[in-house]
Amino acid sequence: MQIELRTQVIEPRRRTFTNLAERFGDRPASRYEEGTIDVQATENFHYRPLWGPTRWQYDPEYSALRLTDPYSFTDPRQLYYAPYVQSRSSMQEAFSKSLDYLESRSLLGRMPEAWQQLVANVLLPLRHYEAGAQLITTEGVRFCYGTTIDACCTFAAFDRIGNAQQLSRVGIVLSGGSAELLGAAKQAWLEAPALQGLRRLEEELLTERDWGTELVTLDLADRLVYGLMYQFLDEAALLGGAGAYSLIAQHLNTWFADQRRWIDALIATWLADPEVADANRAALDAVLAARWGQVVEAVSDLAAAVDAHVGVGAVDAARSNAAAVAAGLTALGLTVPEVSA
Amino acid sequence: MTVPAQKPARKLSMKQRYSALTHDLNWTPTYVPEAEAFPYTTFEGIKIHDWSKWEDPFRLTVDAYCKYQAEKDRRLYAVLDSFAQSQGQLGLSDGSYLNAMKLFLQGIASEEYQAHRNFAYLARYLNGPGPRFAALCQSLDELRHAQTEIHALSHYNKHFTGFHDWKKMHDRVWYLSVPKSFFDDAVTAGPFEFLIAIGFSFEYLLTNLLFVPFMSGAAFNGDLPTMTFGFSAQSDESRHMTLGLEAIKFMLEQDEDNVPIVQEWLDKWFWRGYRLLALVAAMMDYFLPKRVMSWKESFELYFEQQMLGGLFPDLAYYGIRPPRHVEQAIEEKEILSHQAFWILYQFSHAAAFQTTVPDAAAQEWLTSAYPETFPKLYQPLFEKAQEVMDGGGRFFNMGLPQLCQVCQIPMGFTEPGDPTTICQRHSIFKGERYDMCSDGCKWIFDREPEKYVQAWLPVHQIYQGNCGGPTIPDVLAWYGMQPDDGGDYLGSADHQAWTAWHATAAKEG
Repeated sequence: MQIELRTQVIEPRRRTFTNLAERFGDRPASRYEEGTIDVQATENFHYRPLWGPTRWQYDPEYSALRLTDPYSFTDPRQLYYAPYVQSRSSMQEAFSKSLDYLESRSLLGRMPEAWQQLVANVLLPLRHYEAGAQLITTEGVRFCYGTTIDACCTFAAFDRIGNAQQLSRVGIVLSGGSAELLGAAKQAWLEAPALQGLRRLEEELLTERDWGTELVTLDLADRLVYGLMYQFLDEAALLGGAGAYSLIAQHLNTWFADQRRWIDALIATWLADPEVADANRAALDAVLAARWGQVVEAVSDLAAAVDAHVGVGAVDAARSNAAAVAAGLTALGLTVPEVSA
Repeated sequence: MTVPAQKPARKLSMKQRYSALTHDLNWTPTYVPEAEAFPYTTFEGIKIHDWSKWEDPFRLTVDAYCKYQAEKDRRLYAVLDSFAQSQGQLGLSDGSYLNAMKLFLQGIASEEYQAHRNFAYLARYLNGPGPRFAALCQSLDELRHAQTEIHALSHYNKHFTGFHDWKKMHDRVWYLSVPKSFFDDAVTAGPFEFLIAIGFSFEYLLTNLLFVPFMSGAAFNGDLPTMTFGFSAQSDESRHMTLGLEAIKFMLEQDEDNVPIVQEWLDKWFWRGYRLLALVAAMMDYFLPKRVMSWKESFELYFEQQMLGGLFPDLAYYGIRPPRHVEQAIEEKEILSHQAFWILYQFSHAAAFQTTVPDAAAQEWLTSAYPETFPKLYQPLFEKAQEVMDGGGRFFNMGLPQLCQVCQIPMGFTEPGDPTTICQRHSIFKGERYDMCSDGCKWIFDREPEKYVQAWLPVHQIYQGNCGGPTIPDVLAWYGMQPDDGGDYLGSADHQAWTAWHATAAKEG
């Protein structure tokens, strides 16, 4: 039997906020839309910033990459704060479970010696790469134009520090609860030749003042770093008897798949803009011209270090991954410079 | 580097572990000059010798943060959903209550959002990893607050006037230039001033005066979504308060030369924030059908007792004194809410909320809360306004008021010691005259005239033809207002709808 609950029926005056009704018609809007679209102030600012009086506090000119309507971009994941923290809470919990399992069976310490060395000398230093990525992405949180892009940058920035903390926890477990390996990993980040390309790249990005080109450059590096460290090595670890590595890598892989969704959508939106697509294409080409070679070389150095430890053909894998990424960018109509590496 | 054999190692303490997961991620750039990566932390004159001396006011890692916050939001959104499903708005104390929430959504949500953006500026550009990570967490929290406020009030928007175009209004409407210019001022300042302006003054010194009235008002008046939002934000706010307090102590401890700079910022941001709170004072004493406490009581408890009595004696150790012009704020506690409300009352035809003459019970309450000032100075105004109402009219001021160049509130505040004479101050800068509402605002102007002459003053802008046209309807249309948004509450669309719903409910019940 169905229970008939009687409630007072009240016809609403309107179904959503005016700005959304103007964009989409008077239909009920999602919480993503209400909490994200048109939130940032756009006009009648009062004062020029003391730290940079040539622009307003929110200004499309903080990047060469622009959108005629900043809200032509929306997050394909439709993330606002609440679902974001819920999603990350689950992801972090899953990671903790994996790590607890690895710790309870001492599985990290039972990996082949070479794989342990790889983790200590190559993987753990990348926690600093993640921390640098957080800083670079945070530039977008402050300086991008429009709340849909901002929210994506915000969540990505927080994700990167989360990734850095996950890698750090791996280091703590592998050192049996101490920070010994983390200290060594930091030295490696600062000094090991294989990591200097990535460190230099991030430091140079910290001196750029264009959040968009910073984001895109970082993304180029991410595609190659993640392709090598968490995709290619995931497979290689399983073949090499280092299942523990694979168990760690899968979590970063899952995160990166999520990250790709919004960045790919943003790049597509830039390139599809009805008025400034050409300028955006030129800006993206300029990034590629300036940085692609540097990124490929940095990751090639990283791959060489991987091979020095475990000899799994990482250099070749990095090269073919770079070619695949370049092909994807070319398919978008971008010009990827030839690199000799 | 060799991996240690699985021998028992020195385990990290909780503090060391936190440090390993946060501070220790930092490194000092060597491929580029540090000053080029972090260029904004020197121009304000603040000297930081050792960023590692920053004491983390709380220890949160990303996994713990997401877990707590996800749990809180699950509960909050469950309440919002059930409130909407059950037409919870019918259980409010009165339809007029929502005028307070219109002011809240129009005035505050955008500022939560600005705080979000500018805490990210600190999370990127402070040199020290400790304060950077704390600022990053706060940046996320502020996005949460902006979004949860919008979501909490979204249901009311479907049934009431005034909520529907809050962002455009925030960018354009005269009374919203008060909070907007306040936050624009803060985010265009340097990182250290922002920490004092928002992190300390707003989030610590004045936060109870701002949030407690709105949230307690919600609780007293049956506004479950806002009340739940308020409770849910409380644990974030307590983190923000400890961050603000740590920030000021850190700056003061780093170098004695920082003390006079911080003092001036405190002086400025106390008065700036206090003037902004005039809107809150009016809301507390005049907008709530069920009142929580008077502005005067609130000011005495949350500011005089807790801050002047509790905080400033501690800060005196660093050479910090209570803010300049605080004695004027204390004196004004008897008159502030009435003067601010009288401004809102007479310009309600150009607002996206409604006001009305306080009814007999409300006037009685005002008399008991303000026995020295309300009966003598303000009740007569409302008696006159009531006479106009009784004659079928409504008193609106059809002129455009002069605005204070700094706080941007119409110049309706009075001289110290003389509550019947309007206070006017002015300064000449580069041959132009600028008017201010008070000694506090004049002092702020004179300290940074180059900044305040830039102010986008709504009335000036109307006269310059930048606001949709020369007539009031032109301007209101440009503001994004609809005909039902403003005016008197009695007889308004909201009032009529409220009455009709309850008549139906009574018949059916």
